Amino acid sequence: MTIRVLNPTSESTVVTLEPAPRLQSLEGKTVGLISNGKEGTAGFFAHVDRLLRERYRVAEVILRTKSNYSAPAEDEIIDEARNWDLAITGLGD
Amino acid sequence: MSIALNSQYFDIDDSDDVQEFYHSRGWTDGFPIVPPTPEAVQACLDWVLMPPNEIIGIEPVRERTIDAEKLAINAVMAGCLPMHFPAVVSAWMAMLKDEFLLHGTTASTGGCAILVILNGPIRQEIGTRSDFNVLGSSDRATSVIGRAIRLALINILQVSPGAIDRSTLGHPGKISYCIAEDEENSNWPSLAESRDIPKEASAVTVLAACAPRQIMNEWTTKPEEILDTYAAEMRANMRNYSIWSGNYVVVMPAQHREHMRAAGWGRTEIANYLFEKARIKRSEWSTVGKGSVIRDKGDTEYCALPSPDHLLLVAAGGPAGGFGAIIPPWLGTKSQAVTVAIGACVDCEPPAAQ
Repeated sequence: MTIRVLNPTSESTVVTLEPAPRLQSLEGKTVGLISNGKEGTAGFFAHVDRLLRERYRVAEVILRTKSNYSAPAEDEIIDEARNWDLAITGLGD
Repeated sequence: MSIALNSQYFDIDDSDDVQEFYHSRGWTDGFPIVPPTPEAVQACLDWVLMPPNEIIGIEPVRERTIDAEKLAINAVMAGCLPMHFPAVVSAWMAMLKDEFLLHGTTASTGGCAILVILNGPIRQEIGTRSDFNVLGSSDRATSVIGRAIRLALINILQVSPGAIDRSTLGHPGKISYCIAEDEENSNWPSLAESRDIPKEASAVTVLAACAPRQIMNEWTTKPEEILDTYAAEMRANMRNYSIWSGNYVVVMPAQHREHMRAAGWGRTEIANYLFEKARIKRSEWSTVGKGSVIRDKGDTEYCALPSPDHLLLVAAGGPAGGFGAIIPPWLGTKSQAVTVAIGACVDCEPPAAQ
């Protein structure tokens, strides 16, 4: 006997965002780092900061830390990020 | 009966095939499911008097809408009868409050589960049990309600292991984690009453919760000594897992409750005592291998509870045995317990079939 059953998943179409244009070079750019604030991020992002300046000659590295590492970044950080050429985030310990 | 549901449907040859169909798509927790037929799903919706597209809430981080139909499909799959569905709906309404931080709790490496605590008349209406094996498979109602929460997370929000769910370990409560308070055999106001829900109302409380940690002390009748054991377990959790204060559940079975009652101790006295006793200094981390992060804060004192009100004291458990349990929060106050009254008309008859 045929049985009719339903799809339990959301089925909703997820709006996908266009990625920002890729940079050809990091030299002279402003790079923002959004840290989740966990214990291991201090050393990690300090190292990333150094690499960006020494190896890629970026003009400025700005570190911002979320107040809650399990929640999205605050609006202030997102607003500030509009002024950056590149953001590095989504990394934690 | 005309059914106007919105979900994609599949016509499958027999029930064995249904099982493999769902398993193979990652739509289960690994156990067999009840086939979510349009009739069974509609019966759940009828019970709560909701149209299929009723929005239960929106998960704010990923902006995903949770509607009644999808919840009902997952509830049926979990084994829910229509009468169980109001608790599922209300639990999801609570989980979608900002202070619950649903995305963080379900995505975290910390691996917490969502504990659902039932209070009020609905417990008896749907046949929950609050005594033997209360933190295990105590009864049909709590088993299927807890499972419905998890299946809906998996299917509606992609909280599958390795997808959104990044738990390092997880724990067995992530299959089903629902209990009902033993209000009839308790001399204190229910948990929901203590959180401003009228006694006559049914309610759910949800908490992003770690696994239970069981204690035993049947060698005293003094409240202070009994509670010292609970407090010691809370301190152990603070040392070994997370030092941050938050909503701790204390599940207290009948034997310990009787000693509390005899001494005139109620919810307030218990919470106040644990608030004072469940404290550690950061320097204690040196005893459990975490000395490297004490730094200059060794003398800083941390309390398991931000205030006595943060204790979620639940009367539950079998009649004999000097056992009890604490259930720690996932991560301090980053996710907070939420209690909501069950708003659906649980005492109404579902509408007659057309």
